[in-house]
Amino acid sequence: MSDIAIEQARRITYRRVGYVSASILLIIAAIALGVTVGETSMPLHLVGQTLANKMLGASYALDPIDAGIIWNYRLTRAIVAAFCGASLSISGVVLQAMLRNALADPYILGISAGASTGAVTVLILGLGGGLLSLSLGAFAGSLVSFVLVVMLARAAGGGVGIQATGLIILSGIAGSQLFNALTSFIITRSANAEQVRGVMFWLMGNLSGVRWDDVMLAVPIATIGICVCIWHRRELDAFTFGADSAASLGVPVRKVQAIVIGAAAMMTAVMVSIVGSIGFVGIVIPHAARFLVGPRHAQLLPVAALMGGVFLVLADIGSRILVPNQVLPIGVITALVGAPGFALILIRGRRTR
Amino acid sequence: MILEAQDLGWQVRAVRIVESVSFQVRKGETLGLIGPNGSGKSTLLKLLAGILSPSSGEVHINGNPMGRMNRREIGQTLAFVEQQSDTSERLTVRDAVELGRTAWLSALQPWSEKDDCIVAQSLVRVDMAGMEKRSWHTLSGGERQRVHIARALAQQPEILLLDEPTNHLDIQHQISILRLVKALAVTSVIALHDLNQAMACDRVGVMSKGRLLTIGSPSEVLTLDLIRDVFGVSARFLTDTDGSSFIRFQPIQ
Repeated sequence: MSDIAIEQARRITYRRVGYVSASILLIIAAIALGVTVGETSMPLHLVGQTLANKMLGASYALDPIDAGIIWNYRLTRAIVAAFCGASLSISGVVLQAMLRNALADPYILGISAGASTGAVTVLILGLGGGLLSLSLGAFAGSLVSFVLVVMLARAAGGGVGIQATGLIILSGIAGSQLFNALTSFIITRSANAEQVRGVMFWLMGNLSGVRWDDVMLAVPIATIGICVCIWHRRELDAFTFGADSAASLGVPVRKVQAIVIGAAAMMTAVMVSIVGSIGFVGIVIPHAARFLVGPRHAQLLPVAALMGGVFLVLADIGSRILVPNQVLPIGVITALVGAPGFALILIRGRRTR
Repeated sequence: MILEAQDLGWQVRAVRIVESVSFQVRKGETLGLIGPNGSGKSTLLKLLAGILSPSSGEVHINGNPMGRMNRREIGQTLAFVEQQSDTSERLTVRDAVELGRTAWLSALQPWSEKDDCIVAQSLVRVDMAGMEKRSWHTLSGGERQRVHIARALAQQPEILLLDEPTNHLDIQHQISILRLVKALAVTSVIALHDLNQAMACDRVGVMSKGRLLTIGSPSEVLTLDLIRDVFGVSARFLTDTDGSSFIRFQPIQ
């Protein structure tokens, strides 16, 4: 390599390191903001001291209630919001690429509909006699629904394969309709007003009940899922001109589709089971990220993950402080803030197209 | 033999689209595939590209059965330019051609200077150097076809399969694309509609109702009887002032 090439490679490496560190700082800043802002605001030094006590074994004298709020409520919430936002956003990106459909979102495979049926089955019908948690019910429901949708798509002749990815979208619609109907059926048959309210709240996304065991689940699943997707960034690019074109470029289409769609489904199912089905992040953030950095997945995937994470942490802060003394469902905030923001991006994007 | 079809067949349920097709492609030659609409040309190309797996028979590349090669190996040996492939993504010419390197790069391998070189050369070979930054949506049909061919060349294939590359192009672009393909030092199989264009190939295979009727040099294959039987038109060979011949078609009286 010539000196110029070496110099250029070094500059690219520096730039990359710069981007990665800036991203990490940004997400940490968002989480820090999420911890400090709330009904009672916690000053940053108090947050720092709590973290030092818990993680480094320091012994600052702190009000145990403050420390509890920071450590058990706000921090867990912000971390889960960040990883959940990143997961949903990445799932949206890869599903849009694989299915070549701009309207694809993480819930297109029937995952959120199945999760809601699973949740109401546990919550209202009391399946499992209290042994099953709401999350576990939702997770089971989403898996059942996903498997049914994939089986239907395969039976229809397309499925996770080269032919007509349209079939998987249609199968997803069929699955979603079925499970949404089941959910409504169970609610109207068996629920009282209190339960309906609870279910509604859960369905629109809710980070209130998030604790450390949820963090321990969300963080590794999101990390694994995101890594799997980034690992396949070049294969995802190869789908630009369709599955046949990807195959002729040397991509084992069936295998890659199974792995990547499987990873997206896994992330989505876990996130939905923890926080309910938060809409908008999985469809709007991917498009916003595309407008910013273009369609190549090497850049698109990390940027989408970062934007999704930061967006959901901020949306969670909004849901807590927008209406005093009341926590709004986070899905309301994501749509209220996201829709106008997205409209702006669409209008601005038209000029560069 | 660089590429060989052995008794290839493909069917959807009971409908046979391609039936017992056998032929060999020699290294460096340009083989034209002609035949009426629905004769199985595109399906045959997809079978040769390994995008469809045959219901019967086998494709061999350099003597190896394709069924035993993995997708990456096939992608490094053989490139396929589909008939119509478009995208709604906002990508540039360079992005599209870079896709051709997919089979050569593993997940941990960074994009290298060599890849840059190959992409640049591929663009030069289709006469599109200097248009790297153009957006896909601003390209004309002929330019898009050139980009697709450049992407195929970036795969550094030994074999290039093209499905009606001159479709929807104006006459100038038709001629320049065919010239370009003929000038490339790769073995190529091209599905064509225009019999006069097929005359320029080294050999021509004629498809009809899913079968390969005959294969040979253009002058052997393209006889008046065959054109009448297969395409349902009567033809006349005329001689141009430079001594080359061309075909004129008329409806059968």
